[in-house]
Amino acid sequence: MKGSGIVALSAGCIALVASVFALQGQVSAAGERLKTGATEEPKSQVAIANDAEAPYCTPPFKQVLQRVLNACGLVGADARHGCQPADVKTLASISDDDFNALFTPLKDRGAVIMFDDGSEKLDDGGKKVIDDLWVDRRGGRYFFVVARASKTGTPDLNRALSHKRANSVLFEIGDKFKDADLDKQVGMLWLGNEFAQLGPEYCQWNVSRDPKKCAAEAINRSAFVSWVDCQL
Amino acid sequence: MSGASPRLPAAVALAASLLGLTFAALSSVDYTKHLDRQVHDVHCSYVPGLGAEASADNACRVAMYSPFAALFRDRYWGGVPIALFAVGSFCFFAAFALYLLLAGRTSPRRAPLFFAVVGFTPLLASIVMGTISALRLGHFCKVCVGIYVSSAVLAVAAIALFVLDRRAPPPPARTPRIVPPTGAADRTLIDDEPYGLSAEARQNELRPDGTWLLPLWFAALGLFTITPALLYVSALPSYSSYITSCGKLDKPATPADPLIHIASPGAVQPVTMFVDPLCPTCKAVHQRLVSEGFLDKLDITLVLFPLDNECNWMVERPFHPGSCAVSKAILCSDHRAMQVLEWAYDNQEDILATAKLPAGQASVRAMISARFPGLDACIDSKETKLRLDKVLRFIVNNKLQVTTPQIFIGDTRLCDEDADMGLAYTMRKLAPALEVK
Repeated sequence: MKGSGIVALSAGCIALVASVFALQGQVSAAGERLKTGATEEPKSQVAIANDAEAPYCTPPFKQVLQRVLNACGLVGADARHGCQPADVKTLASISDDDFNALFTPLKDRGAVIMFDDGSEKLDDGGKKVIDDLWVDRRGGRYFFVVARASKTGTPDLNRALSHKRANSVLFEIGDKFKDADLDKQVGMLWLGNEFAQLGPEYCQWNVSRDPKKCAAEAINRSAFVSWVDCQL
Repeated sequence: MSGASPRLPAAVALAASLLGLTFAALSSVDYTKHLDRQVHDVHCSYVPGLGAEASADNACRVAMYSPFAALFRDRYWGGVPIALFAVGSFCFFAAFALYLLLAGRTSPRRAPLFFAVVGFTPLLASIVMGTISALRLGHFCKVCVGIYVSSAVLAVAAIALFVLDRRAPPPPARTPRIVPPTGAADRTLIDDEPYGLSAEARQNELRPDGTWLLPLWFAALGLFTITPALLYVSALPSYSSYITSCGKLDKPATPADPLIHIASPGAVQPVTMFVDPLCPTCKAVHQRLVSEGFLDKLDITLVLFPLDNECNWMVERPFHPGSCAVSKAILCSDHRAMQVLEWAYDNQEDILATAKLPAGQASVRAMISARFPGLDACIDSKETKLRLDKVLRFIVNNKLQVTTPQIFIGDTRLCDEDADMGLAYTMRKLAPALEVK
């Protein structure tokens, strides 16, 4: 009996010690991995939440965009809001055609809000297009308003008119959506008739009025609006 | 039957104990591997050592992450796994069964009785754990079932051993010796004991009682049972520096943010929870918060983060199709937001399966309408779309990872690694106001 007891007790102790030893080894190994940060499998990279980045966000596009954002009050605490033609010419440092070409990829994302001759008043069609576009934000970081005027009239008058047209869009959004951060989202450029006039081919874009009544003069009595899906 | 040897049940008990030890050791090893706060494969098979799986819905992983898998979870990261106690006790039972096997009927009389009594305890523990698995977890972990079966076999063998031992031929009752009258010199007096007994009965007659050994055996069982747990606790690494290393919420919510606020009357701890209603991990963490008794004590700012490219530009494909519609339904539910969220969690698999069918989005909408009529107009409205966009922008502004769930206790992020086994410990550290159940 005594011999059996000794054998059994020894076997039990051996089993216990072996089990505990194995488990302690696992605890130590886990502690070491914890300390060194070593993983059995490489960790997958997790994306960081950000604005959308559409294919049209080419380096030249983003360069112009960034300059405009910096200079026109959207970035930083600058109280100044919006850029006028002289600013844009300087900032963009590109030709009229190249400037317009930058916005070509936004054809399906944006729209051209059309105005009456000499007027900055939005019609119902224009308001609806603006509202729909604003709601269709998706991952857009900035909402751009690029207002123009036709060649009719003096440059000063057209500069002021295009400024008013840009403001009309801004006020429409502000009145409708009461967004406290509007100033940090809407970037306005008013070009008057001095820079980057649109050709009649832009009548084929998403315009707020009947495209059949759109012509070279009419398409420039407008404000191009679009969310810009670029990370800046 | 009366002559059957108790060695057979002792051998069975030994085998059952070794099997139980193997399953308990495997379970402990799986648990211990996770002390590095990473996710590892978990053994889940009726065949010991086979079936290591990485899947999140592995029943053994569900059991391992449950609050019932360990003790003192609020004091030690991950707690002390119950399987460790099983390791120690099965070592003892194996040793005692081996002793009874070797000693046979030369063992003290109390030994089979002791073994029958204590050999039942693993079965009692298994019944409790099995009931919890069935009623609370809804899963039966195969390794756990292995322990349950081993425990049952051990209990049956221990009882059988006791019964067989009791049926051993008893020594005949001593008859009073007849003292021959004086002078009967011609009669030979023969003492018929013990030589008149069978060998078995003689052996039985010579067995020690062993009552004095009972306290020693109980002490040994206790020592075997707690030794692995004590050594485990003494070897645990310190986690205090890790649990606060997963970042802060840069821009906490303000009343201007269009987020959902949910707080029970007893809520004491502000948290911000970024969840996708159709994300299985979100559901699992939610269930853990409920089962740990934390959820009702949380003052929740709920940030919906559907990983569905129908509304979320941050993902290129619908990881959880239908999630945008469900998120909008939650946004539209105001004070019933938690009810809708929990409905989505409860029906997650159905909703996801439905969303993947042709016309899945419409079908998901129909499911929502059937359960929560009256939300359709709100779900379709521009305001809700804008609100969800702003919720997502809140996430962008905080530069969070595109993953769910993310929980911030106050402004400190609960690491993903601490949201399962280490949840109770971490919550106690990050939110001392919460009392762990």
